[in-house]
Amino acid sequence: MPLIKGFLETSFIDWPGKLCAILFVGGCNFRCPFCHNHPLVLAPDGMETIAFEEIMTRLAARKNWLAGVCISGGEPTLSPGLPTMIARFKAEGWAIKLDTNGSRPEVLAQLLADNLLDMVAMDVKTVLVQDKYERCAGCRVDLGAIQKSIDLLGHSGIPHEFRMTIAPSLHTEEDVVAWVHQFDRSRSRLTLQNFNPKTTLDALFEKKQGFAPEIFSRLSAMVA
Amino acid sequence: MGVVMPLNAETAQARTQRVVNEDSTDIALFVRSSQDDMTGWNRQRIVDALLRETFIDRGTAEKISRDIEVTIQAGKVKTITGPLIREMVNAKLLEMGLEEARRMHTRLGVPLYDVDQLLVQHNKENANVPHGPEATNLTLAEGIKKEYALLHVFSPDVADAHLSGDLHLHDLGFIDRPYCSGQSLEYIKKFGLNLPHALSMAKPAKHAEVLLAHMVKFAASLQSHFAGAIGWDAINLFYAPYLEELSDDGVKQLAQMMIYEFSQQAVARGGQAIFSDVNIYWEVPKHFVDVPAIGPGGVYTGKTYGEYEKQAQRFAWALFEVYKEGDAAGRPFFFPKPLVHITEKFFKTDGHMDFLHHICEVASVKGNTYFVFDRGDTAKISECCRLSFKLEASDIEDAKKPWKMRYSALQNVTINLPRLAFKAQGDDTKLFALLTEKIQLAAKAHGQKKKFIERLMSLGKGGPLSLLAMDLDGEPYLKLHRCSYLIGMVGLNELIRVHLGQELHDSDASIKFGLKVIAHMNIVCNKLAESMGMKFVLEQTPAESTSFRFAKLDLAHFNAEAEKVVQGNREKGEVYYSNSTLFNVGATMSPIARVEKEGLFHPLIEAGSITHIWLGEAQPDKEALASFVINVFKYTQNDQIAFSPEFTACLACGKTSRGLSETCPYCESKDVDGITRITGYFTKISSWNKGKLGELHDRYRNIDRFNQ
Amino acid sequence: MTLFTTDDCVLCAQLKKQFDLSAMDVQVEVLGNNDAGALAHLAWHGLVEKARKALPILVLDDSSALHEFGHIESQLLDRAARYGCGVAAKRPGNQAGCESGSCALQ
Repeated sequence: MPLIKGFLETSFIDWPGKLCAILFVGGCNFRCPFCHNHPLVLAPDGMETIAFEEIMTRLAARKNWLAGVCISGGEPTLSPGLPTMIARFKAEGWAIKLDTNGSRPEVLAQLLADNLLDMVAMDVKTVLVQDKYERCAGCRVDLGAIQKSIDLLGHSGIPHEFRMTIAPSLHTEEDVVAWVHQFDRSRSRLTLQNFNPKTTLDALFEKKQGFAPEIFSRLSAMVA
Repeated sequence: MGVVMPLNAETAQARTQRVVNEDSTDIALFVRSSQDDMTGWNRQRIVDALLRETFIDRGTAEKISRDIEVTIQAGKVKTITGPLIREMVNAKLLEMGLEEARRMHTRLGVPLYDVDQLLVQHNKENANVPHGPEATNLTLAEGIKKEYALLHVFSPDVADAHLSGDLHLHDLGFIDRPYCSGQSLEYIKKFGLNLPHALSMAKPAKHAEVLLAHMVKFAASLQSHFAGAIGWDAINLFYAPYLEELSDDGVKQLAQMMIYEFSQQAVARGGQAIFSDVNIYWEVPKHFVDVPAIGPGGVYTGKTYGEYEKQAQRFAWALFEVYKEGDAAGRPFFFPKPLVHITEKFFKTDGHMDFLHHICEVASVKGNTYFVFDRGDTAKISECCRLSFKLEASDIEDAKKPWKMRYSALQNVTINLPRLAFKAQGDDTKLFALLTEKIQLAAKAHGQKKKFIERLMSLGKGGPLSLLAMDLDGEPYLKLHRCSYLIGMVGLNELIRVHLGQELHDSDASIKFGLKVIAHMNIVCNKLAESMGMKFVLEQTPAESTSFRFAKLDLAHFNAEAEKVVQGNREKGEVYYSNSTLFNVGATMSPIARVEKEGLFHPLIEAGSITHIWLGEAQPDKEALASFVINVFKYTQNDQIAFSPEFTACLACGKTSRGLSETCPYCESKDVDGITRITGYFTKISSWNKGKLGELHDRYRNIDRFNQ
Repeated sequence: MTLFTTDDCVLCAQLKKQFDLSAMDVQVEVLGNNDAGALAHLAWHGLVEKARKALPILVLDDSSALHEFGHIESQLLDRAARYGCGVAAKRPGNQAGCESGSCALQ
């Protein structure tokens, strides 16, 4: 079973259109400098693990309130136990949303094939250009894998969205435009998030700024 | 009161007597030109005042006046004012042990130093009052009325309880007013605008815009006669018959006018906006379906309200469109507060999900929406942040003539719960005995206020409360016999912490004990209601300044115990107790848990309750909010909820952004003010008192945490 | 198991006579008697508004609640059997008071 390091019983923001619970899996293969969840990424062992059964019990008590469970982290697809965990949720009738960086298309493919996912949100860090992507991800990246995941989701037939967190030091406006063109908007939903300098993975990033509100609104409008 | 003038600046002639002001009850200025010259001094005036104002006999009064005369003659003071002589008489009365007479003879007022400070510094007791001449007028007048109330309306035991912090008598400075009210637009639709002392009279409105103008004027008049909120029932329904002639744009414009009218700072109560609440229904409430509708010109349209559903919905929709946009700077409107009633019939009415999403979107982007839950067959008019009146059978009768639906609470008295725990020292029996005693004292206070208002009302239309005595429908506007009397509480969480060593959110046992405390209050109120013939009802006190005041006083008088449980930042003086039965604002609880658990208390607090869900920066999905609201209705006992986001308004560039930040994200200026909900209405953080600032710091927001 | 009742209710009285409730491990809470504990217990189960409409109410071990008199009676009969308790004969009589809705928490 993946190691669950965090659990929020109620989230109004993690599943568009639905009230859901969200759990956070420890460990990630990327090191995005703007990451807020960095304790999960850098030092998951220092965080207490929540027993899966406890999560199941708490969820059961909220069956009539929540529309589903969102699995986030960290990077959930790194855990070999992920399909088993999702299958257990599914058996109790829970709808499942997965947050992922798309670096493990084979895991994604299997989950989709087994009908274990009801929604997926994939973070596509920037345009698929090697140096740009690696700057955003903070590490080496196999772009082929990313592209594969994008294609899988685009043809999956289930609701999905591609997200990008943008920061002036990492993205230009042209990047955003080019990013949008990577997707088939008739099939996929796109969202932008403005970089927020509070408690980032890379301490240097705390000194930086997000895009000014007017600029961000304009960019968001392009993407909607 | 005369003017004090120095001796040397005058001619000999001018130096002699000043004509006593015939209307003044005070002895006027007396100036003496030399040690022996007492020209103009009139000892008899002291006697007259004592006989007129107190019950002491002539002999004693004469003696006192002679003693004062001797003191003045022997003294070196050259200029004696009326107030000074009065104080000398008071000192003499005290010396002679004539406390009652001294109390009656006393002078009310404010020290010179305090007035000077007041005119310059902002009084933050009430976050709504801006700093300005009207506001300082209000504070000074309130100060005198407060003293008057404590000396003359309430008995010494009640006054002492208030001053020491056992109880809080709300709005003492408005002693000559009832607390808050709920009414129907039908009154001015039918009777037009016919207010006492008005310079002109208006016939019933023929068009929506005129009706709005009447509503605003009436609301302002009402606000000058009530200390608290002015609530309006089913506002969208009662406007409906006037909307048929309007296009959609016209309806939107009307909505804009109404919201802007009530949001702009008005002139009531020291320059505040009128504290207004509007109750909105998507459906036509059952009790109005067959009621004949009054329309343009104040005449029956021939239809019943049931036939105006679409028009009422048009207006409701438009109002929320305006709320969604915010003002010219994108800020949320502070008033009027929109209370949407969620009922069983709501879910059976066409278009309700779209409307629910619409009002949830407003809740998400601006936060204005209040969701009031009327389960079963209860109907309620909600007023301030949480006060509501359940409509009883007699009220449903009144519904056939909606102009008769007028409700009022006459006074609110709040009990300091943590202090009871300090005194009880862990003993249950003692705790409940002390609680009963305090409630009885509060009831006594209510009786005294009732007597006072009755006295003012008995002077009728020519008296000081002429608006409330106005009887256009054959009954005084203020229906005294139907008034309720509110008993509130502060700091249940801290009481539990002292008594059980845990907080409300810590265990089921804490909650159960907390429920027992409130159940006890509920029972005692009902018993007193029966024996005194007055409707005592529990209320969740908004506690804007009360929770701060109680905390400060407890730190002063019960320091050892209070230190351990008072919330907030002691060094900064930003201390507070938890509001009424609310759980600790900083507790890590999911919104579901908070709504459920706080909701357990709501059915016992019959005048109304609310649970706040703090959102911080996060802009939640409107459908997620909607599904949350539906579940609160279906699965909890919670009375009312509001989602409270936070905003930063930049005073430099005028733009508004989400979340509380110290610099403006648009222009980076530090000249910013935060906006969020104080206890039940939006306001600017810069006007908050220290206690509320402490609470703001502690609030748990539903974001950025890994665990709930 | 908890049975919420009032003192002046015909149906409530009948149940109390019919069953040996304490032997069956059924707690009887009497409302409207200035008992803050009973009212608090009712509030804990979220039943105050329901009780204002009609009593008696039976709260089961899993915290679910029964409001219909027939269901309450049969549940108690089951319980009595399991606990091996005797059940007194039901006195046929006028039950109009409660059925007309006058038996409720004031």
